[in-house]
Amino acid sequence: MTTVDTTPPASETRSTAASLLRLARKNKLSTFGLVMFVLILLAAVFAPLIAPHDPLAQNIVDRLQDRSAEYPLGTDKFGRDTFSRILYGLRVSLLIGLTSTALAMVLGCALGIIAGYRGGWIDTVIMRCMDMLLAFPTLITGLFIVAVLGANFINIVLAITVTILPKFARVARAPTIALKEREFVEAARALGYSDTRIMSIHIAPNIMGEVVVLASLWAAYAIRIEAYLSFIGLGVAPPTPTLGTMIRDGFNNILDAPYVSIYPGFAVLLVVLSLNLVGDGLRDAIDPKLRD
Amino acid sequence: MKFVKSTMAAALLATSALTLPTITQAQELTMAVAAQSAGQLDPHVSTRTEDKVVFAMVFNGLVRFAPGSMSSDAIEPDLAESWETSEDGLVWTFTLRQGVQFHGDYGEMTAEDVVYSLNRAADPDRSSVASDYRAFESVEAVDDYTVRITLSEGIPSLLGVVANYHGGNIVSARAAEELGENFATNPVGTGPFAFGELAEGQFVRLTAHEGYFRGAPQLDAITIRYISETSARDLAFQTGELHMIEGERENRWVENTTSGGEIAVDVFEPGELRTLHVNTTAEPFDDIRVRQALAHAINREELIAFAGDVVARGNEAPVPDGYIGHESDIDFLPYDQDRARELLAEAGYPDGVTVPIAITERASLFGPMQVIQAQLSQVGINLEFEVMEHSAWHAAIRDDVSPLVLYGAARFPVADTYLTQFYHSDSIVNTPTAVTNFSHCSLADEQIVAARSEPNPERQQELWSEAQQLLVTEVCSIPLFELLQVWARAPEVDLGYELEGSLSLGPVITEQTTLSE
Repeated sequence: MTTVDTTPPASETRSTAASLLRLARKNKLSTFGLVMFVLILLAAVFAPLIAPHDPLAQNIVDRLQDRSAEYPLGTDKFGRDTFSRILYGLRVSLLIGLTSTALAMVLGCALGIIAGYRGGWIDTVIMRCMDMLLAFPTLITGLFIVAVLGANFINIVLAITVTILPKFARVARAPTIALKEREFVEAARALGYSDTRIMSIHIAPNIMGEVVVLASLWAAYAIRIEAYLSFIGLGVAPPTPTLGTMIRDGFNNILDAPYVSIYPGFAVLLVVLSLNLVGDGLRDAIDPKLRD
Repeated sequence: MKFVKSTMAAALLATSALTLPTITQAQELTMAVAAQSAGQLDPHVSTRTEDKVVFAMVFNGLVRFAPGSMSSDAIEPDLAESWETSEDGLVWTFTLRQGVQFHGDYGEMTAEDVVYSLNRAADPDRSSVASDYRAFESVEAVDDYTVRITLSEGIPSLLGVVANYHGGNIVSARAAEELGENFATNPVGTGPFAFGELAEGQFVRLTAHEGYFRGAPQLDAITIRYISETSARDLAFQTGELHMIEGERENRWVENTTSGGEIAVDVFEPGELRTLHVNTTAEPFDDIRVRQALAHAINREELIAFAGDVVARGNEAPVPDGYIGHESDIDFLPYDQDRARELLAEAGYPDGVTVPIAITERASLFGPMQVIQAQLSQVGINLEFEVMEHSAWHAAIRDDVSPLVLYGAARFPVADTYLTQFYHSDSIVNTPTAVTNFSHCSLADEQIVAARSEPNPERQQELWSEAQQLLVTEVCSIPLFELLQVWARAPEVDLGYELEGSLSLGPVITEQTTLSE
């Protein structure tokens, strides 16, 4: 009588948590990125406590001012405090960026795993659809969706989700094909577990490492797409501040009051940089070639 | 005569060759307007700002506003040498200038072209300004150089509608017939500059019309470029690539541009009146108390400060300042936030009200609208913006989708045009005769119509004043402020006239304009 262990190998479930620890130990730059991202996240969450001014309050007399004690990062063309607006803008930009990445991750992985696990015509249909989406330059897909459906929070999230979803599908599919031949999956199948259970409990956790790395990098990209869309006027409607709309708002005065656009631009840079550093570190930690 | 002219030209050429041994460069003036592309270069069709300045250089009217002026007192002969009118003011006879040549090989301008042009301008199928000519009973050519216009009723200013503005521009009958639809991309007139080339989305190039009846232009060509981004225009101007640019209508821009000392910034008439039109048939503004609350919530001083007092001035009347018939003494609802909140509560909105509105992304309207949004939110009127591309927005507001419409316009400077287009019931949007009545107001119809044919100027002014006061009292719209025209000019450009006003909304280049080295 032989017992079949259907729990996945320990090393593979623990890999993500272990990687994070290893990352912190070995990669100072990534730790720096992580700390930076956490700080940005905290600043955004606690914006109402930190912000010195109401981000929507206009003060026409004080318009287009440079840094001062009262306005730490100056004011925009309506006399609104740039620093307060960046804090609130971070909230919206991060919310859009992270929500759409999370959505794309869940949907993309589900599609990728189904395609890889089932194979055959299902695989063909799903992956060709993904290829079609990938064939468009990413920004064009997003632009198209927002232009057709209208610019609001939900549509922007949807646009970014659709834009980056195929990348997740691809990354999830390849390891699924390898994993479905492994003993623990065959054993689960022999025990009569449903495909849904096998895909969600036995396969999904084992590809999470790679997906998380990808997610951290694509989150940075999602935040950039939000800024692009807002910059060309397809962002959340004013007066709600987002980093992209702030850059756009200042653009007419770029020659005489460049700081109006530069500070929110710098905020985008910090967010994207921190996420990229975290992503790079995670990849280094997970990549078996670079382990130990 | 022709012989004398050509010998003189040859002699001039010879002397200039002697005094200027270097190769004389073609004198080409470049200017940039704030637009993405030309509209349609047919003066009877396009009413777009960016096209008006082109029309003023390519076409003439029977009469014209003297260059640099837009006052009715400054109307002077153009294609017509003289005119007379019957005692009742209904029959006008114009004697045309002889020997006026159209551009290219379209020959001499005669009475036939004038008849053709005015009939074309009055035909709603071929013209977007046909309503200006509704009182025209007939236009006839008495002989080759005499045109008689017969009116069915008196109109506020006949000379106004035969001046070099929109429908008054005289086109070549032969060219318009031969070219048909293509006339809009190949306009033929009698002006100092002829149409040369149109590069869609980039520029339109005009070349000197050597046979211009006031004499050949000093410049060889004009290129008008379309650059919608202010900073892009500024950069091109600073590097010397452009001689003239349309500026940003803000004090700050004027100050920054003139700070170097050499650059001249012309701030000139007309003031384009920015008006917040209120749809009086749509919720919640069908209740007069909400409209009054709206009027009390708006702080004009702040809106003027937003643009700056050099380029903006307040106006409480529905007709812009400087127009014949403008009433400066209007009884209006002053800025009073408490009163606004009270009125809102009385109307059944004690917790405020949210209104979705459409707004263009074009900065000159989008900026002030954001200031208004912030002002209204302080009393509890929350505007939810749908931001649109400019031409999509123009279509949307004519489809009646937005209960509030911030609109800026300059029209022919007589109260009647403004009142008719914005406040007469025939002009209500989404109707067959629609123009730009966004408020759906019709309560001043009687006065507007009566004033049109009122022979006594004092009584006419009374009617116009009455109409304006009614519109303000009923809050059909909230007139806010006027923005003047702002253009920067490099020191080497001499327009050849004093620029105080331009109905074309831009500096018109004439045959007298010169470029120094």
